[in-house]
Amino acid sequence: MSSIKEQFNQISPSEFFYSNRDLAGFSNPTRSLYTAVREFVENALDACDQKGILPDVHLSIKAIDPDKPDPKPYILTVKDNGPGIDPVHIPLAFGTVLYGSKFGLKQARGMFGLGATMAILYGQITTNKPVIVKSSTDGETQDVFELLLDIKRNKPVIVKHTTKEISKKGLSVSICLEGDYSKAGIKIRDYVYQTSLITPYATITFDDPKGQKFSHPRFVKNIPPPPTIIRPHPHGIDVERIRRMIVESQFEIPSIDDAMIEKVRKDLGLSKKNLAFTAIMEKAKKKWKTLPRQVRVVIALMSFLKMDFEKLNKIKIEDIDMPNKKLFYWDFGDSQSKSIDMDPESLYYKQLTNTVQGEPLTTFLTKRLQRIGPTTAMKFAQFAKFKPEKRMGTMTNQELVNLSDALQKFDDFLAPDSSCLAPLGADPLEKGIKKFFNPDFTAVVQRPASAYSGFPFIIEMGIAYGGEIKSGGPHVYRFANRIPLLYDEGSDVVLKVVHDTDWGRYKIKGEPPFVIVSHICSTRIPYKTAGKENVADRPEIERELRLALQFLSRKLAAYMSKRGQAEMAKKRSNLYAKYIPMIAEFCTELAGKKKEPNYKKLLQEENSIQSKVKEENEIENQ
Amino acid sequence: MKLKTSKSKDRKKKSDEKQKNILEMLKSHGAKVYDDLDNGQFPKFSIPSRSVSNIVYDKKLRQYILGNNSALRSSRNFAQLRSFTQLMWLAFFANKLTKEKKSSTLRDVYYSSQAFGVEFEDQGESDNIIVDLESVTSKPREDFHIFPEERSSIFGDLNIEYTIPGYEGKTMNLSNHPDGYSIGPSLTTAELVDTTAEIVIAIEKGGLFTRFVEEQVDKKFKSIIINTGGQAPRSTRTLLKRLHDEMRLPIIVLTDGDVYGEHIAMVIKSGSANAAHLRDLTVPDAKWVGVWATDIEKFKLPTIPMTESDIKRCYDLQKDPRYQDGIWKKELDVFLKIKRKAELEAFSKYGLTNITDKYLPQKLELAKSL
Repeated sequence: MSSIKEQFNQISPSEFFYSNRDLAGFSNPTRSLYTAVREFVENALDACDQKGILPDVHLSIKAIDPDKPDPKPYILTVKDNGPGIDPVHIPLAFGTVLYGSKFGLKQARGMFGLGATMAILYGQITTNKPVIVKSSTDGETQDVFELLLDIKRNKPVIVKHTTKEISKKGLSVSICLEGDYSKAGIKIRDYVYQTSLITPYATITFDDPKGQKFSHPRFVKNIPPPPTIIRPHPHGIDVERIRRMIVESQFEIPSIDDAMIEKVRKDLGLSKKNLAFTAIMEKAKKKWKTLPRQVRVVIALMSFLKMDFEKLNKIKIEDIDMPNKKLFYWDFGDSQSKSIDMDPESLYYKQLTNTVQGEPLTTFLTKRLQRIGPTTAMKFAQFAKFKPEKRMGTMTNQELVNLSDALQKFDDFLAPDSSCLAPLGADPLEKGIKKFFNPDFTAVVQRPASAYSGFPFIIEMGIAYGGEIKSGGPHVYRFANRIPLLYDEGSDVVLKVVHDTDWGRYKIKGEPPFVIVSHICSTRIPYKTAGKENVADRPEIERELRLALQFLSRKLAAYMSKRGQAEMAKKRSNLYAKYIPMIAEFCTELAGKKKEPNYKKLLQEENSIQSKVKEENEIENQ
Repeated sequence: MKLKTSKSKDRKKKSDEKQKNILEMLKSHGAKVYDDLDNGQFPKFSIPSRSVSNIVYDKKLRQYILGNNSALRSSRNFAQLRSFTQLMWLAFFANKLTKEKKSSTLRDVYYSSQAFGVEFEDQGESDNIIVDLESVTSKPREDFHIFPEERSSIFGDLNIEYTIPGYEGKTMNLSNHPDGYSIGPSLTTAELVDTTAEIVIAIEKGGLFTRFVEEQVDKKFKSIIINTGGQAPRSTRTLLKRLHDEMRLPIIVLTDGDVYGEHIAMVIKSGSANAAHLRDLTVPDAKWVGVWATDIEKFKLPTIPMTESDIKRCYDLQKDPRYQDGIWKKELDVFLKIKRKAELEAFSKYGLTNITDKYLPQKLELAKSL
């Protein structure tokens, strides 16, 4: 008999991503080059946005050996004028998977900063070259790192670290990776072009491997207001999230060792003085407001133990049994476990309860979640069949599940706070559309904030018609959190809404020269895949998209009918100008006259009618 | 060719008179448009409506005519401006043709328009505008010197005198050339001087026309033979009418023994709905003598079955007010009953001259009693 021995190995996040790189958009050389560009450009823009810096982002892609056929190794460099990264963090930030700075709840392009590390990882796998990171946080010295990832241990390996003098702040990241520019080129150029449309306050330049330079200077001088980090909305959290928040709100009973006692003495101003128990309590009462939580807990324990510092030094707290109001401790002197009863009426009892059992439900709701006041918290407790003073720390798993369910089902919470969102704004969007498409007609709308599953979102949309726009529309430009979405458009909710629209109703027929720009801003975009290319059709989002599109379509329809009138008037006038002189010629001959009739009057009248129509249109469009 | 100076002056006067009338009418239309333009008004015409609902059968006239509905064609109306201009051009062009005594075909009109920057999509469009002009003026296009392509011809002892420029006063006998003479503008406008014929035989087919000439039907039966080339063109119908009215000759019509043949005869007799806007194109006294449906059995003619469309045509004609009595109704009913038809050539089964030797004399005799 041989026993089957199963082996369980823990793998590092690096190893996980290495074996699952398709998930993050690194499935082949074409897609990988494109994804790497995206990740670095988006990180650069996010860094500038956070510090309110007008971004200057420079992207360059160079083939190591231009004569080799694709796929081949390329050097990809992205340079920004952002705040840079503290050299202390650089190895971890660029040499570890899942080391991120973006874990807060607010709108940003990337969620956790994973993608950049993935790109570095991909580069290292395909070319075995280190990533080169140059960073300056002060605009004086620049740290230059050459890093490799230790995939097995998920640790950075610093190949080289130098510093030099420099005159500009900012970050530059350069990786070497296997790519296929001949195939990815179109998408990358599209990406740069569309990014500059949705980021009008950024200057983005791109030097491509063929020596072509693409430059998109900023045409808006103001950065839209930055988002604020906010607490989660009750509809947007689950059991796991609640559990983590409870841990954050609870405090461990500090172990009462020499260092702790020293701290308590110091905080009470008793470093040099020995006082008796009652005197210590007196002192603590006076200083209570200035005392940190840990110290307060120690004082509370002392109040039940009725011990001074001397005695406190000789025991160890074993257990605090709140339901039975008992305190167990080990007495080193007597070498035995002892217990005392705690007085539930004591103020110190409450202090301990808070620490051990966490906050009451109502406090938890009002303090940890957004948009809940005491009244709503009470109502909710009733709805969820919890006692309002139920301690969070005492909840069983089942109770946590019930709480989570109830949070989802309770309808009286206010809509999520949208201050964590950073839409571009109607004006910059309109400017961008006008500049990029040079249309005859533009309309832009920003919908009020809405929410799906507790995540706030805002839809911004623009529509443009005529001018230099190519026919064959509607051409749809999709953006989410200021990222252009270029792949997998077939299954996207925006396209679904566009295709569902009966354009004939809005006087748009055939293959119109017609552009739709859609921007979804949310703390969490419901992407269908990890590649972040298409947005799933959540009913709330679909509804908002529909409303935005309908609003714009009506405006376009109004314009189209005006345009139709003007065109008709112009056509009429042209036709009159063409045919009336002919009629005049023929009838002069028929009537046997020598001079043609004075038909100019007739044409002038028509012209004045037409120009009136035209004027009205122009006024409307302004 | 002989020159008959004394009478020709009269005839010239007559044709000049007609030309003058036409020119006067065109001038008055032109003057109205001129005045409108000069007064800063959009000129307009009233055109009798040619829609089906406005075509009615006039029992007194024994032909289809247009009712009282008319449509306004205004140069102000954007959708009509183009056709208005086309109509004006056509009047202008017709005026020129008439003045210069030049003739032109429908196809000519289509192409001539291009010299003046007036576009027609196709000949269909220009033909339509010609009908508009006919409707406005109640004159057939031939009066404006516009003729269809020729396909019909005439043969027999008939003297004519030309009125067209360059031939004025010249005469011609229409039995001089055995292939016959095509019925074109010069013949249609010529004066009919004299004839020894006592009857006009209009025949549907060119082949039979040649046979009739060969067999000297013109001499044997003192007749003028006309090949209508299927449905008789309007120039031919005009000529038939003139032969009847001016020369007092009876007209008989000989067609294939089918529903289309019957209708060819009917159109010569009482016109078509298409030409409801025109008068003077019909010969109400014209007689259809064959081939009748009843002849098919009587003469034991080889037949072919009627097609779907033949049958449908029969049912359509049954609704026509002109087919409600007499031989028209009777023959139509028989066609529907036997559902077979026979061509004129069917008589060849009994010899090539059977039709002229046996059938025609019988029918001519019969015509007197019709």
